[in-house]
Amino acid sequence: MKKITALIGLLALLLVASLGLTSPASAQKKMIQIKGSDTMVNLVQILAEEYMAKKPGAAIAVLGGGSGTGITAIINGTCDLANHSREWKPKELDLAYEKGVRPRIFAIAVDALSIIVNEKNPIETLTMAQVGSIFRGEIKNWKVLGGPDQKISLYGRQSNSGTYSFLQEHVLNNKNYSPDVKEMNGNAQIIEAVTQDLSGIGYVGVGYLYDEKGEVRKGLKVLKIKKDDNSPEYSPLDKEAVYSAKYAISRPLYQCTNGKPSAAVADFIRFELSPEGQAIVEKEGFFKIGKDLMEQNEKNLR
Amino acid sequence: MSENKTLKKAKSVAGRLPFLLVAVLIGLLSWLAPASAQQKFSGTVFFDYTFYLSNDGPITTPPTNNPNFKNNFMNFRRVYFRYDNKINDNISFRLTLDGDTVKAVDSSGKADDKFRPYLKHMYLQVNNLVPDADIKIGMADTITFKLAEDRWGYRSVAKTLLDGYKDITGKDIDATSADIGISLSGKLLRQVRYGVMLSSGEGYSKPEKDKHKKLSSFIQLIPVAGFSVVGYIDYEKQDVGARAYTYKGDVYVEFIPNLTLGAEYFVYRNDKNLLDGQRYDRSGLSVFGRYNLIPEKLNLFARFDRYEPSDLTDLDEISLIIAGLDWAPLHSSFKLQPNIWVYDYKDLLKKNDLIFNLTFLMSF
Repeated sequence: MKKITALIGLLALLLVASLGLTSPASAQKKMIQIKGSDTMVNLVQILAEEYMAKKPGAAIAVLGGGSGTGITAIINGTCDLANHSREWKPKELDLAYEKGVRPRIFAIAVDALSIIVNEKNPIETLTMAQVGSIFRGEIKNWKVLGGPDQKISLYGRQSNSGTYSFLQEHVLNNKNYSPDVKEMNGNAQIIEAVTQDLSGIGYVGVGYLYDEKGEVRKGLKVLKIKKDDNSPEYSPLDKEAVYSAKYAISRPLYQCTNGKPSAAVADFIRFELSPEGQAIVEKEGFFKIGKDLMEQNEKNLR
Repeated sequence: MSENKTLKKAKSVAGRLPFLLVAVLIGLLSWLAPASAQQKFSGTVFFDYTFYLSNDGPITTPPTNNPNFKNNFMNFRRVYFRYDNKINDNISFRLTLDGDTVKAVDSSGKADDKFRPYLKHMYLQVNNLVPDADIKIGMADTITFKLAEDRWGYRSVAKTLLDGYKDITGKDIDATSADIGISLSGKLLRQVRYGVMLSSGEGYSKPEKDKHKKLSSFIQLIPVAGFSVVGYIDYEKQDVGARAYTYKGDVYVEFIPNLTLGAEYFVYRNDKNLLDGQRYDRSGLSVFGRYNLIPEKLNLFARFDRYEPSDLTDLDEISLIIAGLDWAPLHSSFKLQPNIWVYDYKDLLKKNDLIFNLTFLMSF
């Protein structure tokens, strides 16, 4: 009997201790946990900081890990809001259904996926088909494209990245990447690699192209993209081209919740969608969302 | 004398051969894998501090002739070391080494508590060769209780019903967590999932002893989001001309935020299981739940199992209650899982066993 009492005491003590030690987190229970896309992590971090500055008492933690990680976290109930730079895959939707998770999706910004090379590379423009062929490993030398006789070095992301999946779906026609692609942990690492590799090529979100002064980072060249041989070329830096959807590889950046967002989460999303939030989106190098997406967001917030 | 030494040396080399081969295989795979293949090493380790709270049950009664009977002890239970190689979006490879002390006996027959690794998984997975389905070829997870194990989520604390049946009752039901063979799992509709597997039937720790194969299949129906009903059956003709079947039904409720509930019930029928010339069945029931109190920090879990080793024997039933906390004090890769096990025996001559475990779980 003594042992049982001691045991119950021990378990109660452990429960109290665990609740106590996680008490920064009973606070944490109120903290909005955001996980997911590395393309979006800096943008959402800045949005969160601005929001918290305006709303004392609000607490938001933003983590990266990739779109797949964010979507998995929503399915497993380990975050309140997932950032993802691609749409949900059928397998993820199936798993969510199995677990009773009902994703509600909000578009908070638009990204122009940017193809970058070293600034010393003479190539200025590629077609979508050429980009696809390069990353599938079918074109292996810059000479084929009118550049120097150099083997192309490919830099990309890991498969849990939304950017990886988006490019694969929209540019590689759902075919596999070349086994020669060096898989980097994030956009910043791709930029670092391409600035140091004369024959390098990579893909990053447009927000990562700029330095603190708002200028395109030194050592980089951002390629113009043509839909096909006969189409005009457009740069992801050309706002008008992106807003008018003339730039071929732009995409919405999403957040999602499980079911109707809680009041605190909904308030943060409203801030992101407000003129103030959208001004931050533009300041960070991304693009505001259009009227259609905004209307869809409003519906999902209700 | 020197002949003896040479023989011992040869035996020792032969004993190490499987591990050398595995090491060579890992090295080869790492070398052969294209630069872009995603390679990942990961692992899980769990061990317990166990304390017997009762001293008069079948497990916890000290033997009369052993004054040093250990009523509290530390026990390293499992080490899993995994190597995953994602060759491309459709093809991947997994190798898992599992280590425990179950067969901790060296070549001279001397027991020790050293961990010995053995192969748990070595399979190739091909996705979407069959639409909306994955194929696994090699030594892979069986489809018998994978769904239950995913829902229960506390393998570190206790195996699921079928997986741990032999540990609790001492009676075999031919259930194994991994086996060599081929499996196909996929979906017909979002509401209808399926799995089939053809395997050796021996599990991952023994070579196949006969020519007969085990055929397993399940169907999972999800009529509404977060509510699953699963039907499972397996069949194997056994070496003495007898047949063995397992029938199982599972229910999972996951639509309540932070709460997972599950239940599984099975019957194992084997023509070799006879009592006074009459065949008997083994069966079991498990009902479990876990509640997420603070995401990635603190969970509660509880389970009730009922074991019926023979439907022809009256007093052999065992009930088991497991309850505990899952606490990640520092990071989700390190967990403390204090838990209690209460064994209740139908045989009134057997008193309850009450056992406390402090389980440590680490993953990387």
